[in-house]
Amino acid sequence: MVAEGALAAGCRFFAGYPITPASEIYEVMMRELPARGGLALSAPDEISALCYCVGASLRGLKAMTATSGPGWALMIETVQYALMTETPVVIALVQRLGPSTGGATQGAQGDIWLAAFSTSGGYTVPVFSPSTAAECYELTLQAFNWSERLRAPVVLLSDKEVGMTAEVVEDTALASPDVIERTHFSGGHSYVPYGFARPEEVPAFTTVGAGVKVTVTGSAHDQQGRLRKNHPEVIEVLQHLERKIEAHAAAMELARPDLDPDAPSLLISYGITARAARQAVAELRRDHLRVSFLQLQTLFPIPRRVLHWALAGVRAVFVAEENLTGQYRAVLAPYLAGKQVVGINKIGSMITPAEISQALRAAVG
Amino acid sequence: MMAENSYLSPDAKLPYCRGCGHALVVRQLSRSLERLKFPPRSIVLTTDIGCVGLADSLFPYLHTVHTTHGRSTAFATGMALAEAVSEASGLKPIVMIGDGGAMIGLLHLVHAAQLNVDVTVLVHNNFLFGMTGGQHSALTPLNLKTATTPAGNWTPPLDLLTLLQASHAGFLARHYATDAGLDSAIAEAIAYPGFALVEVLELCPAHATGLNQLTGERLKEIVARQNYVIGRVKTETDRPGFREQYHQQLRASPPRKSPPVVEKPTAEASLQAELRLVVAGTAGERVQSAAAMFCQAALAAGLHTTQKNDNLVTQGSGFSLSEVCLSPRPIEYTGMENPDVVIAVSQDGLNELQANGTLARCGPDTLLIVDEELAVPAFTGRVQRMALRRTAGPKRAALAGIAAWLATTSIFSPQAWEAVLSKLSEERRRETSEALRAGRQGVASSRRPL
Repeated sequence: MVAEGALAAGCRFFAGYPITPASEIYEVMMRELPARGGLALSAPDEISALCYCVGASLRGLKAMTATSGPGWALMIETVQYALMTETPVVIALVQRLGPSTGGATQGAQGDIWLAAFSTSGGYTVPVFSPSTAAECYELTLQAFNWSERLRAPVVLLSDKEVGMTAEVVEDTALASPDVIERTHFSGGHSYVPYGFARPEEVPAFTTVGAGVKVTVTGSAHDQQGRLRKNHPEVIEVLQHLERKIEAHAAAMELARPDLDPDAPSLLISYGITARAARQAVAELRRDHLRVSFLQLQTLFPIPRRVLHWALAGVRAVFVAEENLTGQYRAVLAPYLAGKQVVGINKIGSMITPAEISQALRAAVG
Repeated sequence: MMAENSYLSPDAKLPYCRGCGHALVVRQLSRSLERLKFPPRSIVLTTDIGCVGLADSLFPYLHTVHTTHGRSTAFATGMALAEAVSEASGLKPIVMIGDGGAMIGLLHLVHAAQLNVDVTVLVHNNFLFGMTGGQHSALTPLNLKTATTPAGNWTPPLDLLTLLQASHAGFLARHYATDAGLDSAIAEAIAYPGFALVEVLELCPAHATGLNQLTGERLKEIVARQNYVIGRVKTETDRPGFREQYHQQLRASPPRKSPPVVEKPTAEASLQAELRLVVAGTAGERVQSAAAMFCQAALAAGLHTTQKNDNLVTQGSGFSLSEVCLSPRPIEYTGMENPDVVIAVSQDGLNELQANGTLARCGPDTLLIVDEELAVPAFTGRVQRMALRRTAGPKRAALAGIAAWLATTSIFSPQAWEAVLSKLSEERRRETSEALRAGRQGVASSRRPL
């Protein structure tokens, strides 16, 4: 469904390298993209795969690759290049158990930090996290839309249990957001490749090879793309890279809240664990325990608005995620001050509904 | 003031050290572009990291892409690949890379040559990393002294052209930066409609010449000792470029869309609660495809299903296992803490059910269906032994096991199988029907009721 979402979004270029559990996306794109006028091909490694995607995107094609933790590790250099050069590209990162080659066929939610904090300077890379096949479709479309709109790399972060489980999708329930295209420059000859009037603006894009000269660079540059040292405009461009994401953060928020306004506890989860969490919440409510639930689909930029809303009046917050150290819980910590915070964590297999409900019952008494 | 159709200004101030070969290459590149009369907007200069990466600012009217170290060829390849599905714009990527970048990005050069993308690479080989202080590279000649080989380099240099010859490159040449014919060689490389690479041998006046008393003459002696060909190297010049190869492929086997099919329920289901099933057997014995058919039948009955498969990494040996959830409502959690039914059709499958803890997690209500050839393990639930392998054959045992269990339930009407059977080839349809029948008969003939 990631591949279907990409096709629906107008993806026309895919470069892949086999890796469990992301290979199915690669196979579907190799089969389907040529039939829709696009190009899918195998790269000799993950570094090349993402470089090819960025090159194709510079030529105006919507581009995507798919990988898992070990491949993502190799791609980080080029993710930063896409960020610095403001080149749209989508990376589907299907998590598996790490570190290193880890467990190829075991799920995990251990790449939250690795996905979000992969840039020198700590710039925000947007990350969406689907929990079902249907959400894979919808959020891939969203990933493309935001990548194009912001001229930025965007990560679709799923995991083995989401990516390699076949499931029935109700077609009538599939959300299909409108497809957004990148804004093309249309102002004659004086093209400023990284031009903006206000730092939160996204510069208009022009294809390399079009009628106006395009300058692309991964080095610190001014709005014209010129390498400058100690020049205030270079710092402004760097600030703009973050500001343009930040300015759209509220609009990028996607979540499935299921809140009980009188509940003293809020359970937060995302990705595969959100499914166990939803089931646990239903069980707890059957036993008349009052609990709110928030499934986050946008992980980065941090969806502050929905968090603020969901946290209002809550005394205890539970964060369920399939990793050892509570990666997203740590990200949320600044927003949870003054509340009791409980992590529900596990590695090696999915967190079960029973484990989640037990944690809530134990804390609530 | 330069005209928009010009390349390098004749009076351009070049940022290189006095005597650096880079200056010569930049001027010869400009001359070759003038000779070819390529419109500046049809060129994208893709520059690597190092002194070589300063060139993009010298060509104000070409598109320029300044990249990360060694990746210039890969980004240029991406741009060239896009040409295969874009309206033909005739964009020509030219890569400027050093010997360091050529090695760190070697794979990109090899793959670009294999694909035969329309990319021209100019390797500025000055035998060391100039910008970072003159450290030796993979192309440094034997005995050359550098900042990191003070006693002389003892690692034999890589012959880039021989390596790319073996990668099916279409155009390969090597020249000294001082060669009078360098501009013609570069022009020829750019005009070549596929992957072309020119290795330019240069002196780095900052780091190579002083330490080694290196002169143009000494350089030629070193190059002769390495048996390096100067000029064109023999290549496969008749290979079509990537774009042409790709379209040939499309014509030879036109791709067809296969979008997801929307299935409408064709049978009734009476399942009320969620149900979980594990079926385990041996790889190659159609365990996972039996489970997939079961899910399709359930789908035809309007049920929600999830299916997860597991097997050894080698995929073709050892166990094969599927975990299936079935529900009248969308399924949230997909794990198998306490399955309702477990079917084991081979020793491999049974071993895995024990090893992965499935059997131990089962409660008293779980039904375990085991092939009669297998020893029944200690189990807290109900056990039913059945002649699955013997009556249905090893490759149909899993499906027969599922059918045997289904025959004792009424979770969906047998009509649902019609939707599955109708999609199979005649042979598979017959086999599948037989397996379903064998399973149902297995129940009828079993001595104890399930």
